[in-house]
Amino acid sequence: MKNRLKVLRAERDWSQQDLADQLGVSRQSVNAIEKGRYDPSLPLAFKIADVFELAIEAIFERN
Amino acid sequence: MAQRDPAYRRYIARFIPLAIFYLASVMLATWLLPDDAPINALLIGLGLMTGLAVAGWIWTFARLLIELEDEFLKLLEVRKMIVATGFILLITSMWGILELYSPAIPKLPVFFVFPLWCLGLALGQLYNRITMGTGGGPC
Repeated sequence: MKNRLKVLRAERDWSQQDLADQLGVSRQSVNAIEKGRYDPSLPLAFKIADVFELAIEAIFERN
Repeated sequence: MAQRDPAYRRYIARFIPLAIFYLASVMLATWLLPDDAPINALLIGLGLMTGLAVAGWIWTFARLLIELEDEFLKLLEVRKMIVATGFILLITSMWGILELYSPAIPKLPVFFVFPLWCLGLALGQLYNRITMGTGGGPC
């Protein structure tokens, strides 16, 4: 699943660790999601959407 | 780092005394038991001691999976255990056929199953690093 996490993070000038801290996950998780190596669960995807104040489909898109 | 997760700190705090207990039981067996030891209380006791250490070790893995809140780190640990289990099943099945049908193949002592499984965890960590970019927590 593709995502815009890296772009959205850069727009806010957040590091991977900043985002990880807000989500309550490890930096490795953010890195793996950003690189498309790992698709988050629905609860984590909702949490990501909440942090960016966007809808899930504005962050994640189907391959 | 993944090790920042408090679940990993608790895992290490449980793992270290169990590893010492396991190594102590193996060293005691090496020191106290001859190769042709009779079946007695000492032999059974040392066998039980080693078994208890392994059971404790498996329990620490189970606790780690329960206590890890980060779903990605949890996935990495599960993958490591699957690789380790696959590795040990592959080695023992393959070696089992070889030693069953050929007297030229040395017998693989069952004792080595657990150390080989731990080696499999290290292979799992390497597999995670190659495919996921990070290995996960300590082996």
